[in-house]
Amino acid sequence: MSIWLQILISLVQILFTASIILVTVAYLVYFERKISAWAQNRIGPNRVGPYGLLQPFADVLKLFFKEDIVPHAANKPIHTLAPILALVIALSTFAVIPIGPPIYIFDLKIPLVVADVNMGILYILALTSVGVYAITFSGWSSGSKYSLLGGIRSSAQMISYEISMGFSIAGVLIFSESLRPMEIVNSQAGFMWNAFVQPIGFITFVVAAFAETNRLPFDLPEAEPELVGGYHTEYSSMKFAAFFLAEYANMIIAAGLIVTLYLGGWQIPYIENLGLSYTLTTSLQILGFFVKMAAVLFFIIWVRWSLPRFRYDQLMNIGWKVMFPLSLLNLIWVAILVMLMN
Amino acid sequence: MSQPLAYFFDSLYLIKPETSIIGFLVLILLYDLIFKKEKWLPYISLFGLVVTLFLIIEQYGYNKFAFQSSTNFGMMAIDPFGAFFKIIILLSSIIVILFSILSKELDVARDRMGEYYTLIFGMILGMFLMVSASDLILIYIAVELVSLSSFVLAGFLKNDSRSSEASLKYIIFGGVSSGIMLFGISILYGITGTTNLYEMNSLLQNFDSTNILMILTMILIFAGIGYKISAVPFHFWTPDVYEGAPVTITAYLSVASKAAGIVLLIRLIKSTFVSQKDTFGYWEMIPAFDWQGFLIIISILTMTIGNFSALWQSNVKRMLAYSSIAHAGYILAAIAVLSDQGLVGVMVYFIIYLLMNLGAFLIVIVIKNKINSEELEDYDGLGYRMPLVGVAFTIFLISLTGIPPTAGFIGKLYVFIALVDAKMLVLAVIMLLNSVVSLYYYVRILKHLYLNKPKAETTDIELSFSLKLFILVLAVPNIIFGLYFAPILEFVKTSLIILGI
Amino acid sequence: MNLYDFIFYFFAALTIVSAFFVVTTKNIIYAAFNLLLTFFGVAGIYVLLGADFLAIVQLIIYVGGILILMLFGVMLTNKITNVQIKTEASFVIPASIGVGLFAGVLIAILLKTEWRNSPADIPISTLVPIGKLLMEEWAFVFILLGVLLLIALIGAASIARKE
Repeated sequence: MSIWLQILISLVQILFTASIILVTVAYLVYFERKISAWAQNRIGPNRVGPYGLLQPFADVLKLFFKEDIVPHAANKPIHTLAPILALVIALSTFAVIPIGPPIYIFDLKIPLVVADVNMGILYILALTSVGVYAITFSGWSSGSKYSLLGGIRSSAQMISYEISMGFSIAGVLIFSESLRPMEIVNSQAGFMWNAFVQPIGFITFVVAAFAETNRLPFDLPEAEPELVGGYHTEYSSMKFAAFFLAEYANMIIAAGLIVTLYLGGWQIPYIENLGLSYTLTTSLQILGFFVKMAAVLFFIIWVRWSLPRFRYDQLMNIGWKVMFPLSLLNLIWVAILVMLMN
Repeated sequence: MSQPLAYFFDSLYLIKPETSIIGFLVLILLYDLIFKKEKWLPYISLFGLVVTLFLIIEQYGYNKFAFQSSTNFGMMAIDPFGAFFKIIILLSSIIVILFSILSKELDVARDRMGEYYTLIFGMILGMFLMVSASDLILIYIAVELVSLSSFVLAGFLKNDSRSSEASLKYIIFGGVSSGIMLFGISILYGITGTTNLYEMNSLLQNFDSTNILMILTMILIFAGIGYKISAVPFHFWTPDVYEGAPVTITAYLSVASKAAGIVLLIRLIKSTFVSQKDTFGYWEMIPAFDWQGFLIIISILTMTIGNFSALWQSNVKRMLAYSSIAHAGYILAAIAVLSDQGLVGVMVYFIIYLLMNLGAFLIVIVIKNKINSEELEDYDGLGYRMPLVGVAFTIFLISLTGIPPTAGFIGKLYVFIALVDAKMLVLAVIMLLNSVVSLYYYVRILKHLYLNKPKAETTDIELSFSLKLFILVLAVPNIIFGLYFAPILEFVKTSLIILGI
Repeated sequence: MNLYDFIFYFFAALTIVSAFFVVTTKNIIYAAFNLLLTFFGVAGIYVLLGADFLAIVQLIIYVGGILILMLFGVMLTNKITNVQIKTEASFVIPASIGVGLFAGVLIAILLKTEWRNSPADIPISTLVPIGKLLMEEWAFVFILLGVLLLIALIGAASIARKE
């Protein structure tokens, strides 16, 4: 395969993935509003288009035409840089999440993942840790107390929960014996989903994912009554939209990760025994991935509209004194399991 | 099982002392966590140290590598020389833990003593590894283990601003010097392509002249070691840290961590740079780096600057800090001989240094407990108020100066003989002159104890029986070993087996 | 100059220029931001050398851990309590003499020494070999690192806790 063909394929993959994320984000916002409406016994958006389906586009348009305000006390270069950083990182994280088994077009084997690197998991961890900077910088550069406090809260929270997240992932890695997301999915054939094999790790990971994405019940960084809007208080127009987009993209990535690491990725148990054609199997598997992801996303939204918010010290206590030991426990459990299986 | 892993499991019986230290470290931590009874912690620690002492004596005769690689050289050298210094480290740890029970200074932090003992055990582990490591990576980790624990211990009295300052200074100097050392290690690895000291020895044989890269590398690595033993251009932290840290930790740093640093230096020279040994025990060096010239310069600088700075100190702890710098200079002089005889000097010196220096610090602790001061002025007339303390302090100070009939004399004598035998007369004379200078400031303490009148009316101060016994246990050997030192010499000579050439 | 050289010089320039700004800028947040770029440059060079694992770990540890803690310290003291933290160059002349001498020695050595050059294959991945080395040949050191981290944790807790 020539290098140019490879580059072309990668470009198509990137374009495809990016558009998936953007469209999903748009409709995620729509569904979030709809689900919240159901949860609160309201109707939700229903004016723009049939069932309000065009509402996301109206929102984006509105943000486009808003005035871009930079506060007087802000540090302009960093203030501008922060949302860009947030968006870039959010979009590039998805590169290593496989959405299906390799497909064959004109005898070319094309993996359904932008970058099938052997350190995919470490790549995700590295990018999430860089993601903290976007929030820290935005909080600091806005020149506002609320932003700063929101930024600090958020980054402290992300750093704290990164630890239990890392240890939960370590459990998965011991099983798959690889850091390549493709291999991790392959190791969960049948019903050997990590969610069943290591339920504690699954729980700690999901909780950590909630905290990492700053979602309720861990949405202290933007706790409206205390902090107005958190680290993006001083942002408006497209810069605000960038943060908004990044936040929802992160949610999608979290869902994608949960599916890949714990729910068998694109695998549908025992589908190969049905004797379907290769194309049909693959399509079903890709569909399976999206169905699982949608379910996880629904769960995330559902939690948001059902649970109250933690207090800050409670959040830190849970992170360090409950989730961290639990994830270590899970690691020991997995180690014992692997030892017994050999 | 893969080959390296087989080596790992085969070597476990060789590291029983280290394993026992790690085990007791965890035990202390868990005991403190679960029972929260501070009272028993020192006794558990003492028990752990005694157990470890037995394990070391059990493997005293071993002379082999632990954690071998495919080249037959190992990561650790388990030999009598290492065991000797492990015993010294353990003895000083035992004494320091006894100090810690006595010291009133630590009373403010009684509820944190679990951490104190855990960190001391971490330090012991690091020093054990420094003593036997023969691999650069292990050496670096060992140095870091000792440094990290001692940073926290130096600042253990958090509410005392001097203690916090000591800790901060220690951290900054420590961080910089271990960074420099790591830079040196990386260049050395770049030159030789191995991290094992013994492998390096065979690779360095084809360096037939001094090499500028080698000089740079060794100076960089010496920065790390020199910081641990407070040799002169790297000594700036010593007075402040020794003054600010709790006395128990000061005593510990001045003996145990210095011993570990010295052994590290000796092992680095001996296993990496010695090509062979002649019949008189002189080492023939690989000419890649002129260790002798380098060590002579450092040693002269160290002892002279140490002694002269001590002259105008008014804080006893600070004075003892400078005096310990000077003593490091004497020891470096003995190493500079680069022969087995020089090593005998180093080892005899260390046994005696342990006794006299810890003794002096014990007296400082006792006096601090009673009058809550370390200033020389407040020592006025104490010799009459606490007769035993006065006499014992006199013995320790005379011993530190090196005047017969105390043990300190014997220590200096062996270093001196080694120097004269190697025809390094200039260094010997400088050492002698330095001892004369040191006499001045040691005797100044005695003057305050006996000749100066106290400012106010005072009464006698009573000591408890156990304290008196403890002082005697340290003071009496200082006299005995000054008159009858055959057993020390015997022990040193049997321990003079370093793995390798 | 082929593509490989070009990428190398790009990362090298990024590292050096940003490192220069770290030292010279007066605003400590800018210094931190430039340090971020320095770390990225170093990580890029690691990737070029085939040390992929090291590159990622560089990002996770230095960028994700160390630098963010430094930023925290600065932000919490600088903005909230209105204390202006500025970096300042003191002892400029002695420092430049010292650093110049050291640089001179290093450059002299770099030019004088006959470095052994051997073309190396760029490994496909260093991940598995590193894991094997850590778990087998250096198993003892690996365990010791665990003890070292435990000591560091205890020390940190001891310093941080209230009397």
